Amino acid sequence: MPMLPQRSRLSVLVFLLPPLALYGIAVLLPIFQSLFLSFFDWDGISPMLFVGFENYVRMFTGDTVFWIAFRNTLGYVVICLVLQLGGALIVASLLTLLRRGREVVKTLYILPAVISTVAIAFLFQRIYSLDPEGLINQVLEFIGLGNLQNAWLSDVSTVLAAVSVPEGWRFTGLYMLIIYAALLAVPAELEEAAKLDGASWWQTFWRIRFPYIRPVWITTTIIATTNALRGFDIPYLLTNGGPGQSSELLTTYMYKTAFTSTNYGYASTISVFVVVECLVAVGLIFLLLRRKADA
Amino acid sequence: MNTTRTRLALAATVATIGLLLSGCSGGSSGTSDPTDVSPEGEIVPREISWLLSRPADGGVITAMEQIADEYAKDHPGFALNLITTPDRPSYIQKYETLAAANKLPELFDTDATPFAQKLASQGTMMDAEALLKDLGVYDDYRPAALNYQRFDDGSLYMVPFEFQLEFFWYNKALFQQAGVEVPKTLDDFPALCTKLRAAGITPIALDGQDQWPLERYMAYYPFRTAGPDYVQQLKKGDAKLSDETGEQAVQWLSDLGSAGCFQDGFSSTGYSDAQASFTSGKAAVYNIGTWELNSLATDALDPSVRDDIDYFTLPVTTDSVTAANEYVSPSGIGMAVNAKTYDPLVRDFLSFALKRYPEVYAATGALSPTTNVQTTIPDNATPLYQRAVDQANDVGEKTAMPWDTQLDPTSNTRLQQELTLLLQGEIDPDEFIGTMDGVIADNGPKAFQ
Repeated sequence: MPMLPQRSRLSVLVFLLPPLALYGIAVLLPIFQSLFLSFFDWDGISPMLFVGFENYVRMFTGDTVFWIAFRNTLGYVVICLVLQLGGALIVASLLTLLRRGREVVKTLYILPAVISTVAIAFLFQRIYSLDPEGLINQVLEFIGLGNLQNAWLSDVSTVLAAVSVPEGWRFTGLYMLIIYAALLAVPAELEEAAKLDGASWWQTFWRIRFPYIRPVWITTTIIATTNALRGFDIPYLLTNGGPGQSSELLTTYMYKTAFTSTNYGYASTISVFVVVECLVAVGLIFLLLRRKADA
Repeated sequence: MNTTRTRLALAATVATIGLLLSGCSGGSSGTSDPTDVSPEGEIVPREISWLLSRPADGGVITAMEQIADEYAKDHPGFALNLITTPDRPSYIQKYETLAAANKLPELFDTDATPFAQKLASQGTMMDAEALLKDLGVYDDYRPAALNYQRFDDGSLYMVPFEFQLEFFWYNKALFQQAGVEVPKTLDDFPALCTKLRAAGITPIALDGQDQWPLERYMAYYPFRTAGPDYVQQLKKGDAKLSDETGEQAVQWLSDLGSAGCFQDGFSSTGYSDAQASFTSGKAAVYNIGTWELNSLATDALDPSVRDDIDYFTLPVTTDSVTAANEYVSPSGIGMAVNAKTYDPLVRDFLSFALKRYPEVYAATGALSPTTNVQTTIPDNATPLYQRAVDQANDVGEKTAMPWDTQLDPTSNTRLQQELTLLLQGEIDPDEFIGTMDGVIADNGPKAFQ
């Protein structure tokens, strides 16, 4: 790499500083503030009370809702990832086979990502509804499976999936676009050579295409995972965590702890956990996917 | 990678940054004395704000807008800025955040919650009893309307703007079809539901999404068997749900659940869907207050059910300690006056507004929190309207307080969640009692010390 002249290195630094400062103020500072607050008991209007690790002890040992929310969050992430990454990969692969109308399909798939969350929540409220009968229950009735009709958002065994699906569905198009762009970059001659050697479609995909797009796949997985881990709006709007705690996520629980219970200290403790959980998730993804790449 | 982390960290901490930054200024009390309701000085018109949680086109806001315009005519430069957030959970978040930042406006809405009591004890709110007495309007108010606003110690820091009665509206034709009668006691409810179900009718339409309508049912049984004091003791941990009173109440709720009293999937049914289920003649009973008179007792009501709608009040129990004319009669969320920004202008405007308000408000067809005016019955009203309005003069002394305004917020959230599970049959009464007694023991005494 050619050395930059002294002056331009300085100007690069000058241009880099503002975003760095912004990052520090907007991201690092609040994280440290949360960390700080997590050692206090504070309702927002009374004096702050230092409680040491009490909030952490309560979170890990005394709070059943926290663990239910954590388990639900993992379920939510899995469903979102399957829909988003799996769906995106399938659609993107099919798109490369399409000769005409690619733009239309792409636009249709990306559409949900630009609709407001509130609108999506209302839409799905209707889709899942039992009384008045929503889309799913109408379809079930129509195809003669009326006995499977259900209040999807009220049934504790279906509600978590029901609140995860809209989030997964919503961003499938976005990840599809990224993966599609990566698939386009796979050199055609490589695939042709493989085909000449007698490789099946699956072998071409698994041995040529997928390894080629692996770096993009890792990035996409990280974005999708962290997005799902901090998912909040759709579950909050659809069920507010209910019935009971069946669709309570760490984020909705944190929100309630802060703004309903006005327990900002404990809410900060949960938020610290969410930050750590996201970092651990990113680390795990790197470890798993990198190792596969090395193997 | 950095952007990802940026976003997730933002999400994780966005809740706390503003609060922490503003926390430094939070907690300080107002500069004025909360009992100094008649401060000296000149009245200098300016814009004042009222942070409120009421329907944007509802009677209170319409009346107050009109009154503010009238006041502004004589006081150029005055304006009343009404900032409403009708969705209650969103409102509470807004109001508590502003309180933490010490940025509450001149007037703000609040229920008599533990949080509000903390604000009052810090001197943030003007003493409403002193204020109303000083303005000479205190005796105009219905005692029940004022009592609803009081804290446990009897102190009054909020001014009521409405008076509502909560009824069980029912469809006579559906009752006849199922061969059932108006329940005489609360214990008649499960059998009533079973018969209605058997006739293919949804017994009770419930807005489960908003939680509070279901929580009303938690309040009913103990209010009859033990009176209004029960919840006051329960919330502090002095009474338990495992006591006889609590156990009976929980069992009754559980029976409502097993009798299928509420529509399937009630927990995800919203306010308007629940109401539509009743007004379309699908559900037989609907428990709601007089704020819905316009939809239930005027020609806005579907002609096919218009003549079939009637109401009954909260049934008693066999050994009831409260009278039949005592039930839920709330005066709505109250208005608090910020002590820090209280000055001769705020006083003068309130003096004008609170004297003028009952007349303007009653003209909209609503029940005034005062007794000095007659409610105007709308031209398109059904006979039921007048009957419901007259019922207000027959309300007894004790009022059944909704539990969501009583319990500490953590216990309240958990109660709402567990109630849904109990009514859906996911948990049994013993589990419900065990969980709730534990949660209240952890949070209640701390909140009300």
